[in-house]
Amino acid sequence: MSVAKTVESSSIADSWRIRKLVVDYGVYMALALLLTAAAFLTPKLFQVDTIAIVMRQASQLGIVAIGQTMILLVAGLDLSVGGVIVMTSVAVAEVSNGRDEMVLPAILIALGLGVIVGLGNGILVTKRRVPPFVATLGMLVLVQGATQAYTRGVPGGFVPEMLGMVNQSWGFLSIPLVLWLGLNAAFIFILRRTAYGRKVYAVGSNIEAARLSGISVDAIRISVYIFGACFAVISGVVLTGYVGYVDRFIGTGLELDSIAAAVVGGTAFVGGRGGLLGTIAGVLIIQILSTMAVLMGLDVEVQFIIKGLVILGAVTLYSVARVES
Amino acid sequence: MSDYILDMRNISKSFAGVRALKDVSFRCQPGRVYAVVGENGAGKSTLMKILAGAYRADAGEIFYKGQRRDNVSAGEVIDSGISIIYQELALVKQMSVAENIFLGREPRHAFGILNLQELYERSGALLKRLGIRLDLRLPVSELTIAQQQLVEIAKALSQNADLIVMDEPSAILAGSELDQLFEIISNLVSQGVTIIYISHRLEEVFRIADVVTVLKDGELVDTRPIDQLDRPTLVELMVGRPMEEIFPRTDHHQGDLVLVAENISTDTILDGVSLEVHAGEILGIAGMVGSGRTELARALFGADPLTGGSIKLVDKRSAKWKNPAQAIESGLVLVPEDRKSHGLFTDLTVRINVTITILSRLTRFGVVQRDEESEVVDEAKQRLSIVMASADQEAQYLSGGNQQKVVLAKWLETDPDVVILDEPTRGVDVGAKFEIYKLMRQLNDRGIAIVMISSELPEIIGMSDRILVMRDGKIAGEVPVEGAREADIIQLAILGQSEALPA
Repeated sequence: MSVAKTVESSSIADSWRIRKLVVDYGVYMALALLLTAAAFLTPKLFQVDTIAIVMRQASQLGIVAIGQTMILLVAGLDLSVGGVIVMTSVAVAEVSNGRDEMVLPAILIALGLGVIVGLGNGILVTKRRVPPFVATLGMLVLVQGATQAYTRGVPGGFVPEMLGMVNQSWGFLSIPLVLWLGLNAAFIFILRRTAYGRKVYAVGSNIEAARLSGISVDAIRISVYIFGACFAVISGVVLTGYVGYVDRFIGTGLELDSIAAAVVGGTAFVGGRGGLLGTIAGVLIIQILSTMAVLMGLDVEVQFIIKGLVILGAVTLYSVARVES
Repeated sequence: MSDYILDMRNISKSFAGVRALKDVSFRCQPGRVYAVVGENGAGKSTLMKILAGAYRADAGEIFYKGQRRDNVSAGEVIDSGISIIYQELALVKQMSVAENIFLGREPRHAFGILNLQELYERSGALLKRLGIRLDLRLPVSELTIAQQQLVEIAKALSQNADLIVMDEPSAILAGSELDQLFEIISNLVSQGVTIIYISHRLEEVFRIADVVTVLKDGELVDTRPIDQLDRPTLVELMVGRPMEEIFPRTDHHQGDLVLVAENISTDTILDGVSLEVHAGEILGIAGMVGSGRTELARALFGADPLTGGSIKLVDKRSAKWKNPAQAIESGLVLVPEDRKSHGLFTDLTVRINVTITILSRLTRFGVVQRDEESEVVDEAKQRLSIVMASADQEAQYLSGGNQQKVVLAKWLETDPDVVILDEPTRGVDVGAKFEIYKLMRQLNDRGIAIVMISSELPEIIGMSDRILVMRDGKIAGEVPVEGAREADIIQLAILGQSEALPA
């Protein structure tokens, strides 16, 4: 009996290890493949200044994607990040009105607004039981509307020169990149090694079991929406510095791109599965694809088609690897 | 042509070089009930999946109605008259009873327009053949689980099934529902249908089976007619351990009063329940599904708010809990009935599952201390003999018994005074059951009080120190353990009274 049992359990172990390998590192294999393809198709991608551009753009998307990943981990979704980014841009310009010494207060005020938006999302989803898709879509419209109403359609104020430092590069290093990597390092640690991180995964994996295990389920869920909005604010500050003026369409599409990056990176819509390491690769894949498409002179429409195919392909692969049992 | 409707000969099957079935033969005559029993991993499901066409056997032959048939697809199997009813019912909840019965095979007029009249006539006839009354137009979501299972059986019949495999049908049924199922089975058998009945519950096997096949570790242990078997022999065949040892007895010392619930009521169903629990005892709670047992467990644990009454721990007068987090803090735990949906984090590792309730103890400044954590997990693994490849294995890849042990480990880590177990051995094989019982006794020895809710009457009688029976959200009465008979409990559960304790 014992022989048969041990053999059986080790084969089960092998199969979960293999599947885990695909789910955990498949996105890095895909990234390696993409880079190999780029070596032949668009060797220009590997020049230092191209890398710097890719990394800067990846950082803008990647910072938002950290929050989006955390929200997806609790089986949520945040469509309001685009609105928060525009709100941030307007707030920074209005509050500072171009004065460098007001950059910090302006950022703090933007973060405060972000916390309110995130709290609103979280409360709608938890206390009022609104589905995340609907709650955050409503919040997107609300934030956009409020921003428009405040500016009366004509954004005022100026972006302080100091924020322009986000455009400096040292080789391919830049402030957005350092920020992105630093935040990732911090939150990978938080998600993996702290009680808070464990609770995030537990809530996403099985909300009722989490509640019965004594976890304050609602507090955890609300907290990730607040994190999500704050990351959108940070990305908004970076984008505002990058553009140098207030743009009503700044950050448009980042909500969907950040969801795509997380999903390509292996974070599941149902919650509890995936993580930031995968999202980093997902962000890079999406950004490198866009850059390659530009370098190859492809039309915008073709870029969208490629992006769509990559997302669908990734999701299909993950579900195959996970369902197989 | 032989008189066997199904004849599976010398079936072997390996997965990635590991034997799941070795040289197993199994055959059925028409119009009889065949029980297939064995622990989890014994090969029951693999054998049935080969029959269903879901897996292909590596070696062996299958004859069905006298014809050799290898390598047939699942669709061909159904067309040939074999139906398999899995535990997870495959019904479309929003559609009506009749629509579900003929799902995908609806009677049609020309141009694919549904022939509703025929749909209702034929499904009505099927239900009549089964001897059940259901509103054909009711959406399946409005039915009880038991009724849904009957719809599955009707669906199998609509496919002209001559052979119906039922995979642990009783796991979700209790009491009168089960009686109804058995009535239908004997009804079908008298019409010449063959039933293969897979179950963990031996009582049922003895009630309905004509022939019992025991599998163990992928091999055939024995096939015997039921009249040549008794319970102790069957258990011994399944586990290789004599029956007396299944319910470990200890010298029972009833300790001090620990928990008192007075007149508690909830929005759900509880209506003025009072009970007392002593240190070191097992208080068994019996009753039909829907009698309020699970609701009682949830109320005691603070998972559902009380609308009346009070619960207190005797030596901690100030302890009050309004939610599970506070209950755990006060020294209570609840091991919920539905392991997959309420107890286990299936996607997460064993490590995270075991330590999720004691994170505050394992963290410094919110950071989990890996060494201490590994110690806790190793210790739990040893203590509960959890079989796993690694602590970083996802819980979903463990067997049912080991999953249940992981859930238990999670709770025991909190060092509770009172442990509420809701169906502690549901879906767990006999070997793991024995280990769970042993563990419960060990907890008693440490002075921990256990409230055990169970649908399995042998378990209630074999393990409890006191037995309370629930009915309609109330305590219907107490059954003395000494000389307790299943009939006494059932009578209280159904009628709310017994000869022993007039109402």
